[in-house]
Amino acid sequence: MSVLPPDLDEAGFATFLEQLRGAVGADWVWSGEADMFPYRDSFSPVWNTGEERHASAAVAPADVEQVSEIVRIARRHRVPLFPISTGKNFGYGGPSPNVNGSVVLDLKRMNRVIEINEARAYALVEPGVSYFDLYREIQERGLKLMVDCPDPGWGSPIGNSLERGVGYTMPHFRDHFGAHCGMEVVLPDGEVMRTGMGALPGSDTWQEYPYGFGPDPAGLFAQGPFGVVTKMGFRLLPLPEYYRSGMISVPRRADFAKLVDHVNYLSDSGLIGEVEFGSPLSALMGDPQFLALATKTGGPSNAEMDAAAEAAGLHSWHVELQIFGPEATTLANWNYASDRILSDIPGAIAIAGDHFPLPATDDQLDNQTQPYRSSIKRRRSLGVPSLGAWKIVRDDGHVGFFPVLPRTAEAVFEMQRVLGDAMKEFPTLPPFFNALTMPLFWHTHTFQMVFAPSIKHDDPAHNAITHAAMKKCVAVAAQHGWGDYRAAPIYQDDVSDTYGFNNHILRRFHEQLKDAIDPDGIIAPGRGGVWPRRFRS
Amino acid sequence: MISRREVIKWGAAAPAFAACSHAAFASGVQGCDAFLLDQRFAAQVPQNHWGIPVMRFDGDVTGHWYQTIDPAWRQRGYVLGGITGSDALFVLETLAQQHGRRVVSRSQVGAADARGIAPVSWIIAPVHPSVVA
Repeated sequence: MSVLPPDLDEAGFATFLEQLRGAVGADWVWSGEADMFPYRDSFSPVWNTGEERHASAAVAPADVEQVSEIVRIARRHRVPLFPISTGKNFGYGGPSPNVNGSVVLDLKRMNRVIEINEARAYALVEPGVSYFDLYREIQERGLKLMVDCPDPGWGSPIGNSLERGVGYTMPHFRDHFGAHCGMEVVLPDGEVMRTGMGALPGSDTWQEYPYGFGPDPAGLFAQGPFGVVTKMGFRLLPLPEYYRSGMISVPRRADFAKLVDHVNYLSDSGLIGEVEFGSPLSALMGDPQFLALATKTGGPSNAEMDAAAEAAGLHSWHVELQIFGPEATTLANWNYASDRILSDIPGAIAIAGDHFPLPATDDQLDNQTQPYRSSIKRRRSLGVPSLGAWKIVRDDGHVGFFPVLPRTAEAVFEMQRVLGDAMKEFPTLPPFFNALTMPLFWHTHTFQMVFAPSIKHDDPAHNAITHAAMKKCVAVAAQHGWGDYRAAPIYQDDVSDTYGFNNHILRRFHEQLKDAIDPDGIIAPGRGGVWPRRFRS
Repeated sequence: MISRREVIKWGAAAPAFAACSHAAFASGVQGCDAFLLDQRFAAQVPQNHWGIPVMRFDGDVTGHWYQTIDPAWRQRGYVLGGITGSDALFVLETLAQQHGRRVVSRSQVGAADARGIAPVSWIIAPVHPSVVA
């Protein structure tokens, strides 16, 4: 499907493309149908419908000077650009833009690892660098540093952190935007800006102090339409000497409250890395009677769930802990964590897990040596990029709704009930929200839950259900104070609408900024629900 | 650019891989530098057949990507054939696009399973001037 940029006719588009070719070379500008296919969102629930967003062309600059030139050309022709790093944002829109006819600014050629400083534990990279690339550079140079990568690890640190993506190691590294330090940005007029200490000529602390002096605009470029990020620094975790794991289970449903409180304390104190909550009762979900209980309208009572657990001889919950550091410290932390929880929750059981020096062997990475059934994906937990996550993707992909909720059992149980009941309207979808749905402890200080219904390219009826369910989830969650943290372009306005405090002052503030620096909407208009005046009308 | 003749040749070759008979496989390997075989669907092909390296995996292509394919795709050339699940092919096809390569032939060679994953035989070849041999 070929489309034109907004307000541009075919002759104008041809002139625009010719100028792009002059800036980057003819081999790095694409507009043919086959060339543009990879820039579609292959996980889109509106695949092949009128709602699907299509780019008109793509251009791949080699350096920041070419990015500036492209932006200036786009500004002259009033053509929206949609910057992508490596375009792997699947589940959240992939490489597809907010506005039909946008030109994808594909930064894949800008793939230099500019600096890795082992002693000071940071890296400075370009957008086309993937987590695999960064990991490979660290390995080949024999540096004692750990990357915190998403799963799968084929995306880029810049793209993922600008989407506020998450990882799986220690709390302050799992928040990938939070772990960034310093960025270089091409603004909508083509000027190049550096944030933080990067604004001070001669500074050697760009990747060590993010703020510099005065207001720090870095946050505007995450999920925002204010510039093209061309370099970004990241704090890295010094490679821990040792890794230790363990599992603690608790018998009763109500015990989850204390378990969560203890895990919060351990995490906030820096004693543990990412945890995996789970329920031994998941093994019963194949039993129709138990499934009916776990998905009961209004939610089952604690007594009903405890009776089912007792009848099956199973505990209600468990948590897998992961600990990093010197060997003696990891052992002390495990002993402290298990003593703390077991002394407070009657009937709790602790099982010491796998432990070994880092870096791990392949067997250890494949998690073949754990003395109990584990849900931990060891590669991502140890900062080793993987593509294995694709083995669990159903059909042609999925969309993702990940509401943010407080780190309390009360909030977890409420979300199980509320969204479980709301999704009964869509009985053909799996029961993502039920009495055993676990919180994800990915971000540093919040829980999330996952709703990720599949899409099928050849089944528009199925996709329509997924699409409707996504919109309902966003709306119902917001009624209870739970907001989505990240969304595909087709949902960004819905999500933005839910952040409506004081008559949507946050969005109006963003719009004022957008109007001031990019009124024609050259950079990703609509991204994050922020539209410039030109498109608001 | 790859030639139309090469595309036609590979288009004919990909279905031949799926037969997995030694004769059919041998006829298909011409012009390919390596094969990926997803053991969930195609276990019986020899490890190194007619001089073409055969890389086996079980749905997760991470190891071969990191050790072999990524380094090879940073260079010019390197035509890769395979019989894999459609999930693994999606991963490789997406990575290929970033490296100036494209699926030039694909043929579904079996029914999809309950997860919607079907076995596919395919060839990925360089198409961008920066990486064609």
